[in-house]
Formats: sequence, structure tokens, C-alpha cells
Amino acid sequence: MKQHYFSTFQLILLGLFAALIVIAKIALKLPLQLPGHSGIFWMAILIVAARVVPLKGAASLVGLSSGLLAAFLGLGDFGPLDTMLSYTMAGVGVDLALLLLGNPENLLTASIAGMIGHLAKFLVKWGIGIISGAPIGFVALGLARTLVSYIIFGALGGLLGGLTLIALRKAGFFAYLAEKR
Amino acid sequence: MTRTIRIIIALVVILVIAGLVLGVDWMQRRQAAQVVGTSTPLPPGSVPIVFNGQIVAGFLPADLEKLKLVSFVDAEEGKTQDGWLLRDILLLYLKPEQLEDETQITVSSSSRDKSATLNWAEVKEASNMVMFDLSNRGTLKLVSLLPQLGTRNYWIQDADRIEVNNP
Repeated sequence: MKQHYFSTFQLILLGLFAALIVIAKIALKLPLQLPGHSGIFWMAILIVAARVVPLKGAASLVGLSSGLLAAFLGLGDFGPLDTMLSYTMAGVGVDLALLLLGNPENLLTASIAGMIGHLAKFLVKWGIGIISGAPIGFVALGLARTLVSYIIFGALGGLLGGLTLIALRKAGFFAYLAEKR
Repeated sequence: MTRTIRIIIALVVILVIAGLVLGVDWMQRRQAAQVVGTSTPLPPGSVPIVFNGQIVAGFLPADLEKLKLVSFVDAEEGKTQDGWLLRDILLLYLKPEQLEDETQITVSSSSRDKSATLNWAEVKEASNMVMFDLSNRGTLKLVSLLPQLGTRNYWIQDADRIEVNNP
């Protein structure tokens, strides 16, 4: 019978993925002064989470949990609402993309899902900037460059997630998970 | 629906969203240009520099390219803040003799209702690293090694006005 609800074990796994996102955000500092470069690990974790718990909404749940955690820890330059929404929407974006594209173990699928997830995060930041009346001229400084940077790092993150999933399958992780269920 | 069609749909969605963002941005800039054109002589999107109550210049994104990039690691999060010294920005438009050690420099953000006031002695000291970092969404964020600007709560995000007042 097809499972529709998250089991406790799956919820614990998703919670761990959420914590991993926040830890990665704090601890992993890439010396790249490019907007959205954190998408490399961010999208990778979301893609892996969405496959390890193959139920609709898994990535969204990871996004929401990590967003709440990050907001409480005071991460992000633009306040808790921006932090929570952007983390959540990254997960929702990945979920929607995978709903259309299917299994993220395909590297192209994973890359595109990563792009869409990261683009969703960008949209939140951009949208909040517009609503809050952030100065237009400087927002426009390299907006196209920022957008492209988000898409590229999202794709790279998705690719990394896809490669991780392939490695996990080779290591027998999914067989192990099937036994656990 | 085949996988290829699904991938094409996803790519089209990405392109449409990117196009919408850039389109809305272009419209906003056009509107801003019209408003600015009728009210002040400043170019659209510039950050006004007000000296003793008079607008003396509009600081433009392109001006940043003329300045030296500096960086420091903030004590709170260990994150590298890199950008341009406020001192260098002010000296693009003001002469050094116009600025005294006690001159008050206020950087404010209208959207965040925040401001920080420093004196020229603090700003001109390069080791204080009073600088603008470019945020991820492309706005300017005033950060520094000075205690009054040392942590996120005190940074001035989305800075959109610089006021300089002599005593």
C-alpha cells in the first residue's frame, strides 16, 4: 500500500536534514564573493532529502523546519520573516520541480530542481526587497548577474545532490532504508 | 508526458520567471527615472549625499568600480564582509578640507528606519573598516569593526542616504 503520511523515522530524518542546512549555512564558508553561492550545499541537501523521504512535501518540510530554526538563530541579513520565507520557498520550489520532473537521481533533473529551488529563494528576497521599498538603484546593481548566479549555484547544488544520491544508492543506503521502513 | 517535455517545461518556467523579474525591475527603474526627473537632479537609483543640508551628489553603483575593495571578518559570525570604505566614497564627492574630525556622518535606511551616526575621525581611520558591503540582493549594508556597528543588529541594511554635517 502506498504511504501518504510521514512516519516518525522519516520526520526525524527530515529534521536532521533541516539541521544540516542550518549547520552548513553557519559552518561552511566558501571564499566566493558571489551572491547565492551557498546554494551549492543548500540545494544538494534539499535534493537528497526529497529522495531519501520520497513523499510529496518532504523538501518543503525541510525548508520550513530549517527556516524556523534559522530565524530563531538570527541568521540572514534581512530579518526573521525573510529568512523563514526564503528557506521555506527553496524547499517548496524543489518539491514543485520534482513533482514535474520526477526522480532526482537523474542528474539533469536534479540540476533543474536545484535551479528552481534556488530561484524560489531569490524570488522571496527580491519580492521582500520590493515590498519593503529597498533602494531601487542599488537593487538593480547586477540584478541580472545575481539572478544568473542564483540559477548557476542552484544547478550546481542540484548536481551535487544528484551525485550524492547515486553514491548513496551504490553504497546500499536505499536498501537499508527500505528495511527500516 | 515524456521526460524531455517535462524538462523543457521546467526550463521555460525558469526563463519566464527570470524574464518577469528583469521586466519588473526595468519598469521600476523607468518609473524611478521619471519621478527623479521631475523632482531632484539626482540620477535614478543613486544614494544622495547631503552636505550641511544641501544635496551635493548622488552616489551611483558605477562609482563603486573606482574604489578599492576592502574586507574584514566580522567577530559575530566569522563572515567575510567585503566592500568599499565610506571614507573613499565621501572623498569622491567632498574635499578633505570640508571634513573635520568632529564632522557628523549619518548613514540611514528609509525602508528599515535605521541610522548610524559616526564622526569623520572614526570614518577616515581605515582600520575601523567603516564600509559598505554589498548584500546578496544588491543593496548597500553599512558594517564596521567599531562596536556601535559591530553586529548584525547595528548594521544599516538597505542604506539609501548619507548625511554629512559640520559642527
